[in-house]
Parts: sequence; C-alpha cells; structure tokens
Amino acid sequence: MAASMKCAWARCLSTILLNSTKHRCQISQPLYASCSNITGDSGNDEIIFRKGEGGTDQTRQEAGPADDTKKHRRDPGKAFTDVRVQKILLRLTGLDLDKVYEYRAAKGAGVAKVALMSDQQLKKVYESASYKALRKLQMPPVLGAREPIDEVLSEDPELEGLNTSKLVFIDISQRVPLKKRTIVVREPNGTLRKASWEERDVTLQKYFPQSGRKIGLPRMFQQDNLECMLDDGKHEYILNRACSQFEIDDPEYIRVTQRTYEHIDGNGKFEDLRSTRHFGPMIFYFTYYKKIDKLLVAFLEEESLEDSLDLVKLYHIVHPSCKSAEKVASMPDATPLEIIRAFAEMDATQKSLVQQAIQTYEKECDSTGSTQLRR
Amino acid sequence: MALAIRFALFGCTNRPFFHIVVMEKRRAQRSGKIKEMIGSYDPMPNQDNQKLVAVDFQKLQKWLGFGAVPTKHVAELLGLGGFYPIHPMSYIKAKRKRKLMEKQPADMQAKEEAQETEAIQVNEDTQPVSTEDASQ
Repeated sequence: MAASMKCAWARCLSTILLNSTKHRCQISQPLYASCSNITGDSGNDEIIFRKGEGGTDQTRQEAGPADDTKKHRRDPGKAFTDVRVQKILLRLTGLDLDKVYEYRAAKGAGVAKVALMSDQQLKKVYESASYKALRKLQMPPVLGAREPIDEVLSEDPELEGLNTSKLVFIDISQRVPLKKRTIVVREPNGTLRKASWEERDVTLQKYFPQSGRKIGLPRMFQQDNLECMLDDGKHEYILNRACSQFEIDDPEYIRVTQRTYEHIDGNGKFEDLRSTRHFGPMIFYFTYYKKIDKLLVAFLEEESLEDSLDLVKLYHIVHPSCKSAEKVASMPDATPLEIIRAFAEMDATQKSLVQQAIQTYEKECDSTGSTQLRR
Repeated sequence: MALAIRFALFGCTNRPFFHIVVMEKRRAQRSGKIKEMIGSYDPMPNQDNQKLVAVDFQKLQKWLGFGAVPTKHVAELLGLGGFYPIHPMSYIKAKRKRKLMEKQPADMQAKEEAQETEAIQVNEDTQPVSTEDASQ
C-alpha cells in the first residue's frame, strides 16, 4: 500500500516539478551570500571606506544566458542560472524521499515517529514532506572563481616603523550582510588596503562564526587527504562539507568539487549523488566543460532515454553554437534517439563509446519490443 | 560629565586586551559603569602577525553625535584604520622608532642574537633524551 502510494506521489511530484513556477529553483540570498553577484543585487557601497567607483562585485549583464563562449568560460554562473538549465537539472536530480530523508547519525537527528493515519492524512504528510525535500535539494550554484581584491585605500610611508605587525580593522555594525562587511588592513609599511578574500574569510569566521566552518583549510581538503577520502567513496560527505566550509566562488571550493566530480567520472559512480543537491551542479560541470560522454553512457546503460535526452538538450542550451545543436534545430520532428545520435556523431569526445551505448540501448529496446520513452 | 570613547583594559597578567567603550573619561575602567561597548582591540599579534581591531562604526558615529570624545589612543587607532585622518602622534612615534632603529642597530642586533641563543639553549636542555643514549 505504501509502495503504491509512493509511486503515485513520485508521478505527482514530477508533474509539479515540470510545470510549477512555485518550485522554480531560486537562489535565495540568505542561504548563499555569494550569489548577490548573480541576482544583480548592487547594494550599497561600504559605509566609510569608499574609494572611488567600482569594486569586485560583478554586475549582472542583460546578455543572453549562453551566447558568448569567452565570457562563459570565466563565469559559468550565468549559464547555471538559466531557467531552462535549472528545470532540466531539477528533473535529472529526481526526488527519492527515502534517500533525502535517510537517517544520518548527527547531532540533533531526531527519532522517527510512528503514527496511525487515514489515507487522507497520509497524503497530506507525503505532500508536505515532498515540498520540504525540494528545499533540501536546492543546488549550490556553480560560479566562476572570485576575482582577487586588490584595492589600496591610502599610502602612508611616513608610518613605517610604527608597527611590526599588521592592523586588521573590521566593522562589526549590526545587520550588515557578511559579504558587504568592511575589512581593511594597515600594513607595517603604512599602506591601508582592503583585506584579501582569504583574510576576509578568516576574520569573518572569528567575529561572525558560521556553524560547520573552521578557520583555515581543514586537513581533509588538502590534496593527499582528499584523495584518500575520494578512494573511500565519501563523495557526498566531501561535497556537503565543502559547501559549509567555503564560499561558493572560493577557488578552494571549486578545486575540491571539481576534483570530486572528476573522481566520480573516473569510477562511473554517478548514481551516488542522484537525488542529492549535488547532482545538478555535477551534471552542469560536465556539460559546461564538455565531458558528458561517460555520463550519457551511464544513462543509456540504465535505459533511461528521458535522462539521456535531457542531458543532450542541456548540452545544446549551454553550448548553443555546437554542431549537433544546429543540426537538431534544423530537424524539428527528431525522435529522442535521433537527437542523441546527432550529438554522438558531431560533439562527443569519445564517439565510439557513446555510439556503442546507443546501439546496446536499441538492441535492448528491440528485444523487449518497446520503442516508447521509458523511465 | 566628560563622555569619552576610550579603551577599557581587560585580559590578565602579561596578556592585555582592550574593549573600546563609551564611558565617562575619569571613571575606573572596570567599575562596571560602561555605557556601551563598541569594539575591541587586541594588542598582541596573532599567528598571522595581525592585531585585530573590531569597531561598530554605526554606534561610534551615534555616540560621536551625542558628544562623546575619543581619547588620544583611540583616535590614533581610528586614524590608522582610516576612519579619522592619521593622528600626528602616529607620525611622531613612527619617526622616533625609525630613529631608534638607525642609531642602535648594532646593539639591537646583539640583543636579538643573545635572546635567540638563550631560547635555543633552553630548548636543548628540555629535549627528551634519545633512545640510543638511554640504552647506553
């Protein structure tokens, strides 16, 4: 009874995901402070230490999401926040309530409740659990590495010799977003400059500590230790911890997440991240850097034509000038397999691998006598 | 009533720590009659050779509006931070220190070297005895 109920809700939810604007993935500022860049939030300049125009925040441009490949390479964020991309990533991530609500031995993990309910009550509980689960599946955005801060506010060589150490000033006024807090440094040679990103992260963590963050780089993220963790298969743990430790545009975060994705690609363990909040960013990473071949093969081996088609469609959105995208645009009535085949012929880096996977899929289809879209 | 923005020395022996507070200028700093705490200054450099200064600038501006006057040393610190222009005493102190460094570099170097050797000797005395020596 419960299993059939779950199936019904899975189907119901997929229609919600496909159609609803209410569940459009929004980058909420309280969760990801770094994304003020992407939502075009210009905000106020720092209160006191203003020095001319400009700063390090990138203003959002009106250009189309994935048009210019040069800008693209520097800033995947613009492509990531495209609504079409978000929809596809959400669809691919899926929603496995058992996995999302898996018991984790952590502080504050509650004991499961057992209750006697009517069918109607059970329906309501599933509905609210599914909506809450969507929030758990909110994807950490994929952004380009942040530009280093290099601003000197004042040069005073006559202060040389006053201090042998740096003086770090932080503004602890109330209700200022972390990203906008003023932090300046007076060097021993008398230069007054804005604090670098690393200095900022450390100082903010000292005065405004965020739970789950350590000051400085945790040893887990050092290269050798990271490799050990990856070999143990702790991909989700690494990605979750990276999310809580680093800012999304921190070069360290990008290094850790990209290494994790590459390791998953090497071992083909894509399903580990399915129905977690990291699946979307992983797919996007592979699509953006044109490495979707193994992923596509994995989807075809699972015989999920929908996922494979979604992946190729995503590739066409992110790289609209690629050859297969142009070909597919010229064939409006193409079947899913034809679209995937076009991609394999024209844009796949491991052509033979993908074409073989397509052939295997077709054989399986013929043997079971069905050519319909299958889940 | 002379309302001041001043340092209040807390911490303990050989470990000073200043809170930047608003209180009457002539009161004892640990009397508990602080009107508001608006920041801190740690005069001992940390591992990254930084001295941390935190100031709530909104509150600072509010109290300045009420007529509070920063003391000499607070004004110097705020000058170094860029809130005020640099205090003349900062320039003077810097110049004095540079002069001192120029005049007695030999003495200073000798002192430093003596301190270093002392530290190394102390370290060697407290080194654990190696297993080879112990077996012999």
